[in-house]
Amino acid sequence: MVRPVSLPANALRYSLLGGLLVVMVFPLVWMFRVAFLQPGDSLSFGSLFGGGFTFGNFADLFVQTNMGRYLFNSALVGILVTLGNLVFCFMTGYTLARYRTLTNKALFVTVILILMIPAHVTIIPLYVLCVKARLFDSYGALILPWLVNPIGIFLVKQYVESVPPAMEEAARVDGAGEFRILFAVVMPVCRPALAVLAIQIFFTNWNSFFFPYILTSREELRTLPVGLALFQGHQAVDWQHLMAGSALAVLPVLALFILLQRRIVSGITAGAIKQ
Amino acid sequence: MRAHRGIALALGLPWLLTFGLFWAFPMVYSLFMGFTDHQLLAKSFQWVGLDNYRALFRDPDFVSSLKNTFVFVLGTIPFTTVLSLAMALLVNRQFRGRGLFRAGYFLPSITSLVVISLIFTNLYSRGGYVALLAHVIGLTPPENGFLYDSGTALYAIMAMDVWMAVGYYMLIFLAGLKAIPEELYEAAEINGASPLRQFVSITLPMLRPVTLFIVVINSIKSFQIFTEMFVMTKGKFDTATTVYFIYDTGLTTQFKFGYASAAAYALFAIIGLFSLAQFILFRRRQEYSW
Repeated sequence: MVRPVSLPANALRYSLLGGLLVVMVFPLVWMFRVAFLQPGDSLSFGSLFGGGFTFGNFADLFVQTNMGRYLFNSALVGILVTLGNLVFCFMTGYTLARYRTLTNKALFVTVILILMIPAHVTIIPLYVLCVKARLFDSYGALILPWLVNPIGIFLVKQYVESVPPAMEEAARVDGAGEFRILFAVVMPVCRPALAVLAIQIFFTNWNSFFFPYILTSREELRTLPVGLALFQGHQAVDWQHLMAGSALAVLPVLALFILLQRRIVSGITAGAIKQ
Repeated sequence: MRAHRGIALALGLPWLLTFGLFWAFPMVYSLFMGFTDHQLLAKSFQWVGLDNYRALFRDPDFVSSLKNTFVFVLGTIPFTTVLSLAMALLVNRQFRGRGLFRAGYFLPSITSLVVISLIFTNLYSRGGYVALLAHVIGLTPPENGFLYDSGTALYAIMAMDVWMAVGYYMLIFLAGLKAIPEELYEAAEINGASPLRQFVSITLPMLRPVTLFIVVINSIKSFQIFTEMFVMTKGKFDTATTVYFIYDTGLTTQFKFGYASAAAYALFAIIGLFSLAQFILFRRRQEYSW
């Protein structure tokens, strides 16, 4: 039912919407603008429209700083954590949906529990554990604790419950082994849920700062957010280069968002409705 | 299905191992550590009972960190909730360019917190855009920028947090709005209910579960803020929150593991009580509304 809207009401609506849009995207626009300013330029009001334009800041980052390395670390950790979550959340979610045994109930309780625990309660012992297990300052500390997560398990469990078990029975009758059924028959069917999961895990991991910062100290292991957070403070803040680095951190997320907007939105709303 | 029990266990094993080693064990160990005087370089440590907890509530740094945390939570949640609902209502109807506006509003919530903190450090700085804006509307911004002033730093970070969060909760409100049956509005229309009346009598009550979800999730998140303070103020100018206190006492120069663990559990308990209170409050209101 679409009601006819009068012209003044429409004008009011769009100016409200537009004003809000400016407020919401201006900080990001400003970041990109500063990233392309010449190093000597002032960051005054006018530089938003006038002023210099250069790609040099980005080149400097790779030549003069370790931003290239941070980018590599973020990409590596992001991809491995995402892959791990796809496989392990799928396995656990599938089990929860299909086999109703005692171990399952225990699993389910742990899933609920971890959803309620604020992560920061565990930082001190996690730090001690990583030091004792020689995981501190290694890729292991950046990857291993995040290979499976309860939200992902839930997502998969919900989805598998909507898949008819007859499909697996048919494969079983055809003589396929359990693991083959799992990965070659059920997993492809779950692609929509897994896509949503992959996007969410990658975004969260790509942006995460706290744990990567706590669990590493060597510069070679810094991820992009950690590198950026520790980039300032050497001399006076060098905004042009700092914003160029920030732009590097935002670009992949922005590109994925534009490509996969519908999936991202449906994933978030689905997660909320289920609660 | 008994034959498959082994398979079920095998499939759940990666989760059990990860959860046990990196989450459950630290949880328990942290509780234990909170009752000891464990420190980084000490060879041994002693059981001190509730001493850490007693000391915490007499520690001015911890008490002020709690105060800052509560100011942050209580000051941001109402704004975030009301604004995100208003935005959801604004972009709920069909109109040209709707997708663009939704995407634009949502953009800050998928941007890295570190990046956002850096951008706002610039915007809030002396001579930055926000100071300029303040001049335009006739206010005098703090001399050294908003973040280097105890009177404004925490509020500046809170404003940024609201800005960042509203797009995300707008989406969740949108999902909640979509779930309200259209017939309710049609029936109200026939009975001559005004749009305002429809909003108060249909939309708000039907959105109550979603609102509860948003308020609880958002406060749990807000109780744990750290990154903003780390990047923007290093916990100075009255912005040190409780997680910052835990980080500071446990993982920087002092390495007081026992004391910091006790602080973490105190925060955990507060978050638990706060969430419980919200559940009870919302359930009560639900009973009276019908």
